[in-house]
Amino acid sequence: MDESTIICKCEEINLAEIESAIQSGAHTFDDIKRITRCGMGPCQAKICSSLVREIISQSLEVSLSEIGLPRMRMPLKPTRIAALAGKETSSSVVSVFAESAPKEGDES
Amino acid sequence: MKTDLFIIGGGPAGLHAASVAATYGIETMIVDESFSLGGQLRQQTQQLRNLPKSFKTQTGTALAKQMIEKLRQLDVTKLVKHTMIGTYQDGRIGVTDGHRTIPISANKIIVATGAAEEACAFPGWTLPGVMTVGAAQILLNREYVRPGKNALILGSNNFALQVAKQLAEGGVNVKGIIENKERMEGNETETIDQLQKIGVPLYFNSTIQRAFGREKVEKVILNHGHKALEMDVDLICIGKGLSPILEPFEILDCHFTYEQALGGWLPVYSLSMQTSNPSVYVAGNAAGITDMGAILLTAEIAAVSIAESLECVNNADADKTRKLLWQELEQIESESFKRTFQARANVVKRFQEETDLSQVNGQ
Repeated sequence: MDESTIICKCEEINLAEIESAIQSGAHTFDDIKRITRCGMGPCQAKICSSLVREIISQSLEVSLSEIGLPRMRMPLKPTRIAALAGKETSSSVVSVFAESAPKEGDES
Repeated sequence: MKTDLFIIGGGPAGLHAASVAATYGIETMIVDESFSLGGQLRQQTQQLRNLPKSFKTQTGTALAKQMIEKLRQLDVTKLVKHTMIGTYQDGRIGVTDGHRTIPISANKIIVATGAAEEACAFPGWTLPGVMTVGAAQILLNREYVRPGKNALILGSNNFALQVAKQLAEGGVNVKGIIENKERMEGNETETIDQLQKIGVPLYFNSTIQRAFGREKVEKVILNHGHKALEMDVDLICIGKGLSPILEPFEILDCHFTYEQALGGWLPVYSLSMQTSNPSVYVAGNAAGITDMGAILLTAEIAAVSIAESLECVNNADADKTRKLLWQELEQIESESFKRTFQARANVVKRFQEETDLSQVNGQ
């Protein structure tokens, strides 16, 4: 790998950007994500997660078992807003995003 | 919608768990994001070795057909092209078909999401023509498309070797298999012999320095020992192993642990394949990367244990069945990779420690 090798394909983040985030104090995947947008594209870190954790492990000389997983949030897969909102007034957008209980009549 | 058992993932583990559970009389629903059931079995055209005693030796594609056919005769609701995207606060699961989101309430859940392939970054890895071995196998066996003319395989685990062989048999010129260690990772002698017969060269202590090409891969430079080797290839298949797919576990509040031999992070689980969330069970590669026999056995253990907790089978019978299944699991995993079963035992031990600790704290 060289400095310009892409690590996160979706957001086009290269090795240099990830290493500089680590030098600024990042030591988890989520730190790097917040600094660089790495892992925030359509695949939601499914491809780069292990690559980035490997880089952290090597740069900081810590074992992979000490580097946690990225936080996984809802919706777990790219989902159209319309699919979450539904057509009825009883909106499940509230349910899924705010993680609140669905209203009566949501079930179909 | 309501069901007793909700299974996430319609691959080998999900399908087998569904048929065992439904045979116990459990109302079962299975969801898969693809348009058809079968998961990765759909392109496994090779004979599967080391299947449990209750299965005859067969190809993956035949096994998928057999299991889907079995479900047809049982009370199992199948939701294909539906994806689990989250949970509601009241515990119901949100599943979408792309147009709307459907809440599903279930007594018990089996997460059988399987595994994802690991990537490998090198300069040029984002060029078209670089793909995982699994992607190449789908193109070849499911779409009947040759993914390239001249291929290089990166990695020498059993799956990478199997795909290398299938590509060669499908008319692709496999110019080499490269491995960064000094020996082969895979141990299936039959596949290794066949690759030797075809004349596929193996490069140990080797890595990819760089892949080049205008718009797609045309050339690759290898670091082979102390030398640099140049090769004209239009296909690079990355076979760097698998890791469990974990997204649903975090949403379902399951605790994780780390075991290198099982593919890295995975949920902790008990001898019943129950996770730290008592209504959530795990089966198949999501419970640690293993071979097909063990995938089917873990699914059966989860299904039997759920039948026990829903009182469809008494404790004594469930215990007896579970014990036999674990014995067979140990036997199958010890035949292929001993480390896998040892790592699995560690996961179960950690579950037990967590449970003991929470009981002490609770008192």
